[in-house]
Amino acid sequence: MGAVIRRCLILCAALPLLLSQKNLSALGEAYFTSKVMPALEKGGCQNCHGSNGVAGGTRFRLPDEGASAEELQLFGKSLHVLINRADLSKSLLLNKPTRRVAHAGGVKITPGSAGEATLRTWIEYLASNTKPDDRFLLGQRKFEARPVLRRLTHAQYNNTVRDLLGDDSRVADQFPAEDFVGGYRNQFQSQSISPLLAEAYGAAAEKLARSAFRGGDTHGLIPCKTQDATCRQKFLRTFGGKAFRRPLLEAEVARYEKLFLSEKNFLVGAQLTLEAMLQSPNFLMRTENGAEPSWRPYETASRLSYALLNSMPDAELSRAAAQGELNTREAVEKHARRLLADPRAKATLDEFVAEWLRFDQLLDAVKERDQFPMYSAELTVAMTEETRRMVADLVWRDQDFMQLFSAEHSFVNTALAQLYKVPAPKNEYDRVALPPETGRAGILGQAMFLSATSKPADTSVTQRGLFVREHFLCQEVPQPPPGVNANLPNLDKGKPMTNRERLAMHLNNESCSSCHTLVDPIGFGFEKYDAIGQFRDKQKLTFRPARKEDGEVVKVELDIDTSGYVAGISNSSFNSPRELGKILSAAPQCQQCVAKQLFRYYTGRHENARDAVVIDRAFADFRSSGFHFRELMVSLLKWSVFPPES
Amino acid sequence: MPAVHTKDLSLSRRTLLRSLSGVAIGLPPLAAMFNANGTAYAAPTQGTPPNRFVVWFNGNGIPEKYWIPTETGADYMMTPCLSPLAPFRNDIHIVTGLDNPSARLPGPGNDHHRSMASLMTGTQFTGRGAGGPSIDQVIAAKVGSDSRFRSLQIGVSQESFGESIQRNMSWAGYDRALPPEMLPNKLFDRLFGARELTWINRKKSVLDTVQEDASGLRKALGKEDATRIDEHLSSIRDVERAIASLPPNYRRVDPPEAEGDMKDWPRIAKLQSELLVHAFASGQTKVASYMLTKCQGLSRFPWLGHTNGRHHDYTHNVGKSAANNGLEGLRIQRDICRWHAEEFAWLLGRLKSVKEGDATLLDRTTLLYVHEHAEANDHKNNGLSAIVAGHAGGLRTGLHTRTTGTVADLYMATANKAMGVGLSKFPSGSREIPEIFG
Repeated sequence: MGAVIRRCLILCAALPLLLSQKNLSALGEAYFTSKVMPALEKGGCQNCHGSNGVAGGTRFRLPDEGASAEELQLFGKSLHVLINRADLSKSLLLNKPTRRVAHAGGVKITPGSAGEATLRTWIEYLASNTKPDDRFLLGQRKFEARPVLRRLTHAQYNNTVRDLLGDDSRVADQFPAEDFVGGYRNQFQSQSISPLLAEAYGAAAEKLARSAFRGGDTHGLIPCKTQDATCRQKFLRTFGGKAFRRPLLEAEVARYEKLFLSEKNFLVGAQLTLEAMLQSPNFLMRTENGAEPSWRPYETASRLSYALLNSMPDAELSRAAAQGELNTREAVEKHARRLLADPRAKATLDEFVAEWLRFDQLLDAVKERDQFPMYSAELTVAMTEETRRMVADLVWRDQDFMQLFSAEHSFVNTALAQLYKVPAPKNEYDRVALPPETGRAGILGQAMFLSATSKPADTSVTQRGLFVREHFLCQEVPQPPPGVNANLPNLDKGKPMTNRERLAMHLNNESCSSCHTLVDPIGFGFEKYDAIGQFRDKQKLTFRPARKEDGEVVKVELDIDTSGYVAGISNSSFNSPRELGKILSAAPQCQQCVAKQLFRYYTGRHENARDAVVIDRAFADFRSSGFHFRELMVSLLKWSVFPPES
Repeated sequence: MPAVHTKDLSLSRRTLLRSLSGVAIGLPPLAAMFNANGTAYAAPTQGTPPNRFVVWFNGNGIPEKYWIPTETGADYMMTPCLSPLAPFRNDIHIVTGLDNPSARLPGPGNDHHRSMASLMTGTQFTGRGAGGPSIDQVIAAKVGSDSRFRSLQIGVSQESFGESIQRNMSWAGYDRALPPEMLPNKLFDRLFGARELTWINRKKSVLDTVQEDASGLRKALGKEDATRIDEHLSSIRDVERAIASLPPNYRRVDPPEAEGDMKDWPRIAKLQSELLVHAFASGQTKVASYMLTKCQGLSRFPWLGHTNGRHHDYTHNVGKSAANNGLEGLRIQRDICRWHAEEFAWLLGRLKSVKEGDATLLDRTTLLYVHEHAEANDHKNNGLSAIVAGHAGGLRTGLHTRTTGTVADLYMATANKAMGVGLSKFPSGSREIPEIFG
């Protein structure tokens, strides 16, 4: 086998199309996983052709990370759609990566290389199979309900102990900080419990249990007064059931009873039990699609409650689970609508927005003080508050959510009104109209976005474009290859340049341009808004001599060309945030991205190809409602808890 | 401020920084902090104290022209960045030219992500975290099981872009970050918090119940989730090990002052270093990672007078206006790298000042100082520079060596020569770098 492949590689490189039928079948499917796939990966195809890559929408879409060898082999066979049976040398599978035909990603496999020979061999193998094998594509259309174990986020921990114990002390704020992974803080693959966190859980449980029984059972956690065996059991089952969000197993009751009885005093026993329960994985984590079928309704209750309220299920949800009422999409929908009326739903939405738009990055940003004396911590808070209010207004008043990009109004305080040069509202954060001449509309015209994506002293065309791609189009743009100096050419007072002129280096250099054409032209359209989101008509440059005797300070003002476009969206030329907002709000890529972002937040993971059936259904509901975000919330939960058959 | 002096371990009070109110040094080292029940006071060490290992990190690489000595061998000149280490010339070995090859494998993430995962673990960035255990954890797995803490993760500056791969340097395994403790008071409490016997017994019974619960849940779950439960169980066991009552004289260690600027990184760094020295001196751990600043870190440097940008900005020559061509940013970077070396030197000084029998702590410690990049501006991940310090492994000191091996090769040399762990491989390593240890 090895010899066959080796000989084949030599032959194919030199003389393609010479393989006999016999050799081809001997090649086998393993050739794809052992040779072709590594060649594709070496070329970096996965950087753009993954599910969420910028080229994820083409016919060449690689399986998700962690695909089995079998799945990879099926994928290899599915590539027959990219071969030209009439003339194999005209196959896209060969000519795209070698850029014999136009390929936005550039040359990924060098013509004449061993990698290309491998590809040619595979193309011949595919051509030799007269019956196309499409099991890969069919399989991708089938939703896969995989079991997951999710840890409570710190916010969920705080809310849960508030609702369980009436304790408002927010102990989880003291836990080791949660890190961002895949854009959010709740992605389950990274929710491990380190020894440091386990220690923090221990200290928190101890503290919470102590306060819970300070001065007796002041919070009414014990459902009876008798303090006997019956009462103890009742406490274990009712409190334990709430803490674990499902009925306790008999073994669990026995385990906790033993611990309870290790203390003579009833309340001390109860306190000890509570302290242990709060450290149990049954409290700290929850399953979805777990192996225990009888827990399914309780899992559903928790999924709804944590998605919508960021806290444990309420009494009504728990009752519905216990009585077997959560077994249909209709029931999920009914309860989801009920929970959305709960005031806690608002804070939950705020948390999603803060993570999706990475408010943390703006709140931490630094700006050049001489240039932006008005910039302050308070101002950054106001910037995020404007965005938060805009989203909340659209969601809770059932407005077209896509106005997030196109709304010709906003919610500003006095400081932001000054920044935007619009009249200050009567009350802070009242709704104000944004006149057309401001060029602003929606989030793209807000200081939150414009400032968070800028550098300390100047804008960043690339960062702004990247933010739009990643956050609003859900596309991952490959990062610069290792070892590339990403700095723009130095500025010289003899030849001052605008950012667009300096960035021309990206677009004129082949290795840079394949990715930078995806981002820079978006960023150009924001160039009339400076590093804190103020309008500027000119780009101002100040050249300071290193030493006084070297000369004068030279100030230059340059005209700004704001024409931009979004590669991949047709007719998308624009000149201002307002114009781009209109384009994005109408673009299916952007509309679907809103659904994908919420999917990531609700499921604690990034979507894969098999999730399309769920996301497509939810998106259809979202669109037909006139883009009411509440409908998206309900629909995503409904379809992800009970996925459609196909 | 009480300071305990014993025969084994004594220290001049003058060496304590007065600004660091609190942490008194001079405690007897302990063989073990607990007996089988975790309830007894430990006995003083018998025999030779063990060797210790520290892997030290600061983010955003180095400004090469201010960091790398021009000359190799014994006659190298201390560079502006390295100048704080001049007093320790005979305790250190400068190693340059190290490669970090798995940082360049195609995959997700930006260069900082990729380089960081690869630097610490020799594996590729997974898109979420590192793909395997970091060097400190590999060493801790071999030597840490008889310590109260298998390993410690210590951090200082918290300013970062917030992602897991940027905020953590120690990894227990695939996507399993071990966050550093960044607050001196909390680190103090872990190491020296006073505990009563009744509390210990109570805690043990609670944790026993939780462990049984976890094992029960494990059975009720599918295979995939079992791993996650196993992680939780292993963490609970680590917590259980650490539950111990301390000898009475340990209660005389004062906590670091609670007041003070919690973003004053030089102050926090010294408090953390002081606590690390204590942890080593008292035998509570043998292995530590020390994350001075974050990967792709965003620290600000008001004490250096630089307030217009953050570290990562400066490395990309963004210091002042674009028209200034970043020259000022380069000078700022020089000040910053000198500060990094200053804090490292401070820890070396503290380790050197603590006597342990006939030697010092520094004689029985090896420290590895690494960065995720060489020149950070172009995210260079070959030609990396590192410092090996301390005498645990017979380090050849006073030298600058330009080598051709990988960071993992340096790890293998350190792990085997200094810690004697018999490491036959580490991802992206192939051999022990020969020139560093005698």
